[in-house]
Amino acid sequence: MSEQLAPQQAPLVAPADRSVWATLRSRPLFWVCSVVLSLLGLIALLPGPIAGLFGQPDPRACTLADSALEPGGAHVFGTDLQGCDIFANVVYGTQTSLFIGLLTTVLCLVIAMVLGTLAGYYGGVADRIVARLTDVFLGFPFLLGAIVVLNSIGARSPVTVSLVIAFFSWPTLARLVRSSVRTVRSAEYVQAASAMGLRDRRILLDHVVPNSLGPVLAIATTMVGSVIVAESTLTFLGVGLRSPSISWGLQLSTAQSYFQSEPHLLVFPSIFLTVTVLSLITLGDILRDALDPKGRS
Amino acid sequence: MRRKQRTATAGVLLVAAMALTACATGGSDAADDGTRAITMGVTDPGTLTPGRQLVAYDFNMAVWAPLTFLESDGTLTYVQAESIESDDNTTWTITLKDGWTFHDGTPVTAQSYVDSWNTVAYGPNAFENSGQVANIVGYTDLNPAEGEPTGTEMSGLTVVDDSTFTVELIGPDSQFPLQVSQAQTAMYPMPESAFDDLDAYNTHPIGNGPFELQDDYVENEPMVVTAYEDYAGDEPTTDQITFVPYTDDTTAYTDVQAGNLDISSVPASRLPQADEEFGDSFYSFEAPGISYLGLPLWDERYQDVRVRQAISMAIDRETINDVIYGGAYTPATAFTPAIEPGTPEGICGELCEYDPEAAKALLDEAGGFEGSMEIYFPGGGGLDEFYNAIANNLRQNLGVDATAVPSADWAEFSDKRTASDIDGPFFSRWGALYPSQQATLRPFFVENGGCANCIPWYDESVKAAIDTADATDPGDGSAYADVQELILEEFPAPPLFFETYSYVTSDAISELVTSPVGNPRLTHVELAD
Repeated sequence: MSEQLAPQQAPLVAPADRSVWATLRSRPLFWVCSVVLSLLGLIALLPGPIAGLFGQPDPRACTLADSALEPGGAHVFGTDLQGCDIFANVVYGTQTSLFIGLLTTVLCLVIAMVLGTLAGYYGGVADRIVARLTDVFLGFPFLLGAIVVLNSIGARSPVTVSLVIAFFSWPTLARLVRSSVRTVRSAEYVQAASAMGLRDRRILLDHVVPNSLGPVLAIATTMVGSVIVAESTLTFLGVGLRSPSISWGLQLSTAQSYFQSEPHLLVFPSIFLTVTVLSLITLGDILRDALDPKGRS
Repeated sequence: MRRKQRTATAGVLLVAAMALTACATGGSDAADDGTRAITMGVTDPGTLTPGRQLVAYDFNMAVWAPLTFLESDGTLTYVQAESIESDDNTTWTITLKDGWTFHDGTPVTAQSYVDSWNTVAYGPNAFENSGQVANIVGYTDLNPAEGEPTGTEMSGLTVVDDSTFTVELIGPDSQFPLQVSQAQTAMYPMPESAFDDLDAYNTHPIGNGPFELQDDYVENEPMVVTAYEDYAGDEPTTDQITFVPYTDDTTAYTDVQAGNLDISSVPASRLPQADEEFGDSFYSFEAPGISYLGLPLWDERYQDVRVRQAISMAIDRETINDVIYGGAYTPATAFTPAIEPGTPEGICGELCEYDPEAAKALLDEAGGFEGSMEIYFPGGGGLDEFYNAIANNLRQNLGVDATAVPSADWAEFSDKRTASDIDGPFFSRWGALYPSQQATLRPFFVENGGCANCIPWYDESVKAAIDTADATDPGDGSAYADVQELILEEFPAPPLFFETYSYVTSDAISELVTSPVGNPRLTHVELAD
């Protein structure tokens, strides 16, 4: 995304040698995160073949007699309490987690862009309404809200869980968009466009939105990570996803009871969860630094 | 029944549970001052009155004395009763022992019993356990289908003198003396003062048992009971018991491990490791509980008996027991728990034995199974692993697309089952309150017997056979074998496990004793020196 943005805004905000891509390219961490995330993306797209690498392609092929086997042999990560292959389950869990992370973030982004742009560009009544609305949502404890809503809806699929998390997480992003849009609004090129008599729609879509998108995208990347954590937390508490869904949170939730006797049940989903979230958050940080050199510490 | 309720409360309030359990660890050994005191983790009961309580069995068995007591060796001894006799199994004469008093000093008389049972039965009082007196003549008059009852007393109860009364049942029932044993709490007596203000009585119940309640009951506060000085029965081995309410029995379990609590039940998720962690202090008491896999017989896919038999044979009970329950249960081989006298163990035969090939062949012979199978069970009660294991068994052995789906909470599950609104196999269990086959067969196989739609097959011939056995059983349960034959023929639901109730104790207790109802016998707890 940033690659498309860079040439467009380069003449306006930054000299060519300080372009976003050049900054990113020079940072090793960026490459580490990209590789890790690409791998996870690949796993999420092709869970079957990847789980099959170690001979256990089906996460639901469980033999109770093989309960809680140690890692090794036919089961590279061992088996869980039900005798299911942990590697296959972790691989399939990647799909669920990334799906929820991305869907929720896209939903939030859409809401935030619309409301934040309206509030930031027009100000006045629109600004006040959106500000109060975000206040209301931010004043609501996320965990409590999510538990209440999730408990009152019957079926809990990855989509419904995404919707609920998105419902409570868009305000932060909306505020960010608003302040970003406000900065851009007073930029000379926007005033020039306005003076030329361009219609609001054109100004917003051609100038304001693209130029305020940068910092928002950086935060959105971080958000994918926090959404994955939120899903795992809710599932761990027993109000998120439920079997037969396969998710890291569900695996951790099952593993907690047997942690003392079978630690490997907990270790592998935790490693995947941590690595994914860490990569996303680090990537978000790097993007933010690259897009906003002044904010760098 | 008792575990069932626990399932209900455990579900939704997870976060509240996490917040509350941190401060629920107050009660500890009060043995410092020389009194013999123990603490026990319980679910907060809400109601304590014997006719109303649902999760306060241990408290009730400490504060009240039953008419009869069923010992572990199967003999029935008299506690409050001097004798219970009948010539025709229909009219029973109960004689009480002299000199027994309630904790407020008033004597326990025949009138106390008659008044108590009438109060329990009286419809407008809506006592939760009123089903226990439903077989007494006149019960239906106090519970008309429509409108107000005409009287307040059951015509089947007659006071003969201060210590004698007669009970007339609606039909001959040889099991009546068992129905007034220790866990049938609705049959406990209440003193005269109770009837003036039932709510006040619930806050501070007064019984006729070995222990009396110290202070008024306050929700979520520990309840302290101390030995009643004038108790006319056998003296208990402890002076004081504190019942500490916990919202999560895993916390109670951990507290016993830490020495903050003396007795706790073992949550299912801890069963596999409890033996290792507690050794001799881990007790698994045989109990009159049995679990079935309920089948939605209103769905045509389950109409063929061979489908039901195939499902039964595809479940690996032995391995599930070992892995999920740490071997604490016993794979079921009959339709009633083995502890119930006369249970024809093994009657289920190969239908209850794991044989995946035969199961698959039988299912194919019956025309296979179309569509997916969602096993439905109450969520939040730690049953997930159990039903996931069954779903895995059925998926792999029968090639059916089986998954296990929990409900949001007990209420949702219960509503759907009562309304026949489930399209897959479902959770089905019953913990009887007295070990007689009658106490398991009636709830499951008689309509309105207690466990609505647990096994949705109500057959006239089965009901008639149960009634005949009730009337004619010589006392060893042999008369009920015919009923089990009828059930086997139809095979309406696969029996899964004979249950045990498991407990762990702290170092302060050297021996926990039980009775055939599966609960610890708190009057006989042996303390370590």
